[in-house]
Amino acid sequence: MSTRVRRLQIGFDGQGGMIRLIAAATVLAPGAALAHTGEGVVGGFLSGFIHPILGFDHVVAMIAVGLWGAFLGQPAIWLLPVVFPLVMAFGGLAGVLGVPLPGVEAGIALSALALGAMVALAVRPPLWVAAILVGAFAIFHGHAHGTELPAAASPLAYGVGFVVATGLLHLSGIALGLLARWPVGLRAVRVGGGLIACAGLFFLIGA
Amino acid sequence: VPGRPRLLAPALAGLAWAGPAHAHALSNRFGDFYGGMLHPLTALEHALPIVALGLLAGQEGARAARWLLLAFPLALLVGAGLASVLPPMPWIRPFNHLSFVVLGLLLAAAWRMPLVLLVGLGALFGLTHGYDNGLAASPGSPSYLYALGVAALGAVALALVSATALALSATADWPRTAVRIAGSWIAAIGIMMIGLASRPGPS
Repeated sequence: MSTRVRRLQIGFDGQGGMIRLIAAATVLAPGAALAHTGEGVVGGFLSGFIHPILGFDHVVAMIAVGLWGAFLGQPAIWLLPVVFPLVMAFGGLAGVLGVPLPGVEAGIALSALALGAMVALAVRPPLWVAAILVGAFAIFHGHAHGTELPAAASPLAYGVGFVVATGLLHLSGIALGLLARWPVGLRAVRVGGGLIACAGLFFLIGA
Repeated sequence: VPGRPRLLAPALAGLAWAGPAHAHALSNRFGDFYGGMLHPLTALEHALPIVALGLLAGQEGARAARWLLLAFPLALLVGAGLASVLPPMPWIRPFNHLSFVVLGLLLAAAWRMPLVLLVGLGALFGLTHGYDNGLAASPGSPSYLYALGVAALGAVALALVSATALALSATADWPRTAVRIAGSWIAAIGIMMIGLASRPGPS
């Protein structure tokens, strides 16, 4: 245990060195070379980071992806969070290019309903079925984000922002899903899935 | 450790030799070096590929990482140095976004690739990303100092990222999973950036 802690400390020392290096470079750098002012980057990142979090239907669906992955165990716990962004990117591509996708809001609400129900009913389909289901819903989520991307102050920073936010939502779903190892936790996870399904149904009626 | 005194003597000699004329490095045009060193950190499109390549080096193991640590900074140096000489190449920007997709997919797949391929990719992307960084060098000043700065930062950042990835992967399983997921997201960003660049009309 102590060696692991020590190794982590070494890792942090390395990062501290990096920060010191960046700080030194910042102080010593001449103004002329600063082509990127950074303002657009911060604004783009924040708007991208906030976009997935402000949509409650999106939040519960993303948590459901992580929850279901952790619930299904290996290898779904890492496969679903890897499949999701790759398929989502193509939905995002359609959104960026302005290709209309009918029923985006209904699709996102349906994803929360379906994925939440999977967890609540403890459905354990074959891995490829789970991957295709998550991937299909990912297209709707990507389209919703991609439509906003070209208007961002810095499109790349916006992309990184919404990627980080969505990844963190998956991670919180996985963390909650790991409770399923214990009998009480399993019940809590299934109740959580049920709540997500209810929220999805609510948004589906509203959409 | 036996090498320490041998390094120490020239260092002390250097300190003793530096006269007042060298007190301000910036006024000696040495600032271009720091300009080059800072530039990759000022924009995500320059920082992200270095991080992705560092993660890839960490995934492929210490031996591969060492070769990449040699090839990538050298390619950055050449690419950044050539930027002021070569005619404008507008296709480099979308090509660099394609490099996000390639590196991201390789990370997500966690494929043990041949060392030649990894070093070749590092050299190729080092050239193109070095070129893109080199475009920001201040005109009229020695571009080799700027290029050296870009290469120095590339080497340090690559070493830090790959060493962190290697060290964490040795202690637990989750860092390997985290790297695959990060790769998948990096590829997703690249796909959308290519879409943005190929959008009809003014972007």
